[in-house]
Amino acid sequence: MNSDYLDTERQDNIRMLAESAQTFATKASPLTRARGLRGSASGFDRSFWGKLAEQGWTGLLIPEAFAGYGQGFGEMAAVVSALATQVAPEPVVPALVFASRAIEHTGNGDLQQQLLASIVAGELIPGVAWQEELAGLQVNLLASAVVAAPTNSGIQLTGEKHHVRPGADCDGFIVTAKQGNGLSLWWVPANATGVKVQSVALADGTSEASVRFDGVMLDGSQCLAQGDAATVAFTRAYDEALVMTGVELLALQQAMLNMTLEYLRTRVQFGKPIGSFQALQHRAVDLLIQQELTSSVLSQALVMLDGADSNAFERSAMASRVKARASDAGLLLARESIQLHGAIGFTDEYDLGLYVQRALVLSAWLGNAQMHRRRYANLTQMNTASV
Amino acid sequence: MTTTNQTISQSTGQTTDWNALDTETFRQTVRTFFEQNYPAEMRYPKTRLRWAEIKDWYMTLSKKGWIAPSWPQVHGGMGLSPEKLIVFIEEQERWGVGRAPDMGITMIGPLLIQYGSEEQQQKYLPKIIQGENIWCQGYSEPNAGSDLASLRTDAVEDGDDFIINGQKTWTTLAQDATHIFLLARTDKTVKKQEGISFLLADFTTPGITVRPIRNIAGHEEFCEVFFENVRVPKANLVGGLNQGWGIAKALLGFERIFLGSPKQSQYALSRVEEAAHALGLFGDQGFVDRYTQLQLDVADLSALYVRFVEQVKRGEKLGPDVSMLKVWAAETFSRLANLLVEITGGSGAVAGDIEVNGKKIDVLTSFYNARPATIYGGSSEIQRNILAASVLQLRS
Repeated sequence: MNSDYLDTERQDNIRMLAESAQTFATKASPLTRARGLRGSASGFDRSFWGKLAEQGWTGLLIPEAFAGYGQGFGEMAAVVSALATQVAPEPVVPALVFASRAIEHTGNGDLQQQLLASIVAGELIPGVAWQEELAGLQVNLLASAVVAAPTNSGIQLTGEKHHVRPGADCDGFIVTAKQGNGLSLWWVPANATGVKVQSVALADGTSEASVRFDGVMLDGSQCLAQGDAATVAFTRAYDEALVMTGVELLALQQAMLNMTLEYLRTRVQFGKPIGSFQALQHRAVDLLIQQELTSSVLSQALVMLDGADSNAFERSAMASRVKARASDAGLLLARESIQLHGAIGFTDEYDLGLYVQRALVLSAWLGNAQMHRRRYANLTQMNTASV
Repeated sequence: MTTTNQTISQSTGQTTDWNALDTETFRQTVRTFFEQNYPAEMRYPKTRLRWAEIKDWYMTLSKKGWIAPSWPQVHGGMGLSPEKLIVFIEEQERWGVGRAPDMGITMIGPLLIQYGSEEQQQKYLPKIIQGENIWCQGYSEPNAGSDLASLRTDAVEDGDDFIINGQKTWTTLAQDATHIFLLARTDKTVKKQEGISFLLADFTTPGITVRPIRNIAGHEEFCEVFFENVRVPKANLVGGLNQGWGIAKALLGFERIFLGSPKQSQYALSRVEEAAHALGLFGDQGFVDRYTQLQLDVADLSALYVRFVEQVKRGEKLGPDVSMLKVWAAETFSRLANLLVEITGGSGAVAGDIEVNGKKIDVLTSFYNARPATIYGGSSEIQRNILAASVLQLRS
């Protein structure tokens, strides 16, 4: 990724972190590990999560005030990218970006402190339960059908959320719920009474979950934020998760393009490497262009997230731009890599499929390219209207 | 020489450090100046403006010190950082400011700053800034298009001069130019790329004939240029003898970054937006989806552009990867032009403006302008060949 906007010292630090993360990931998480975990009970390895904690990566983004390491998104991207290159199935972005940041952006001191400390220690893997639409392009970011309503015996949480990652072995959920006319964010342990987790198998052998909340009783101390504060905290964490998912998708794009180029250079037909044929060369170039567009918009987004001079609207528009480009380019690279390989690219035995299937998962997660283009259109229209 | 240097340093002493301004202040400054000074009747010109039409504006910018936004201030430019340069371009586009014959500003100027001798810099750069010299580019020939290195226009050494014979073609706005920079063969005995030199010629030199060529849009934007025993001094050689190909390739880098600017696409996008408002298409989800996709293609083009501009500003050489910028810029522009023809439906073939709900829409200018965009400066196919061979290491 291009990091021209950062000062040299930080660039150097990020480069060093990227190298050590890549070394670690290649050794500790070879593709055979990703392959072996496909379809297993949780789809990932909890003991590997412990290794991430030992590296300090579970607390990388978390501020020092919460026992973390207070690093920026540039640093986190280095780690996320290295793990994505190895198709590691652990829910790094769902738990360490989306959920952690949602907790961090809220103001519930005690709960915040306790949850973040457990996350840093590698003991807690949380997910965010926000999406209520099962399918389609109409995605409402804020809760509408999942409701936190007062009853005689206290506040009760009711409704169902979809596409929650991780879909198994998740310790608890940050749940967005409608409360009155506003939004509220709640911490709900996975083992709370009335929580039903239905795992759904995904293309890459990991899972997501549909989570039902059947009158789950909520205690005031479980409330992370309410009203505008909840909307702001959720939206910010969501946008940050979009960008970091873009980082993963870029790593997959790069891995697929490298594999494909290697194949084009070495596969011989008609007496020459097939990469000598212009028709295939030009298709490969189009993949390079999409990869580099992804990389360019991502580097701007990372600088924006790490900087202080952007507003919520700018961050949301940028995050949707990233997710739209990274998802489309990811799927394009996936399809074209198979085509340029020929039949071997369609076999389970060949590693290309691991990347293709992860790209499918990440393109759909948090809203696909089309959904994010619509969000961008709505955001920019709103912005023009308000000027 | 000393006098010129003093003049320059005196003038730089008075120049503004534009990069020290915050983006919004800079944007407002540029916007206000364009709005107050650019002639209203010349906003959003449909074709390349001729020198006679745009001369006054060129001189206005020149006097303001804004004619060369990307040049270093020491050479009379604004010395803008990439971010500020983008703002400058965005504001030009927003106000529909026409493009002057700017080969001097965008091509030969930056090239002389990098490769020219001090004498060449002092002789030519101030006259570009002052609008005294208008440059055109003599590269393509009737039999040297995509295979540019096969060019046959030759320059033979004769005492202190070169004598040039041959023909250049597709030379943009040569009829308005006072000077041409060209590639000529100076050694026929070596590999084709190794026998080419980079020369400068004044159009007042005897033996040069310029003949405009009409394009399918009905405009005379490019020309043929004939050289018959044209004698130019050896002082007009840029770089070393037979070093022209390397220099031209560096200039192609500049050119690709210039042609890769989001300018044309931003312009086409605003034309589509205008037409869509007039046609009431923003209530049509099918249209909005396609429009947004193209809007993001343009936004991401800007991100890619900034990345290459940054590289130039750091003083790094542009690699062959800059070709991807030119491909994406030209093809994005082309997709926007297609969309404009498509949304005007049955009026998609009307020559001149159509009027919809009181709003004039020019359907075909973007369509026509998009045709050469994927051809000049190395066609999209040639750019893909370069990327495949030099970036992806796929050898033919």
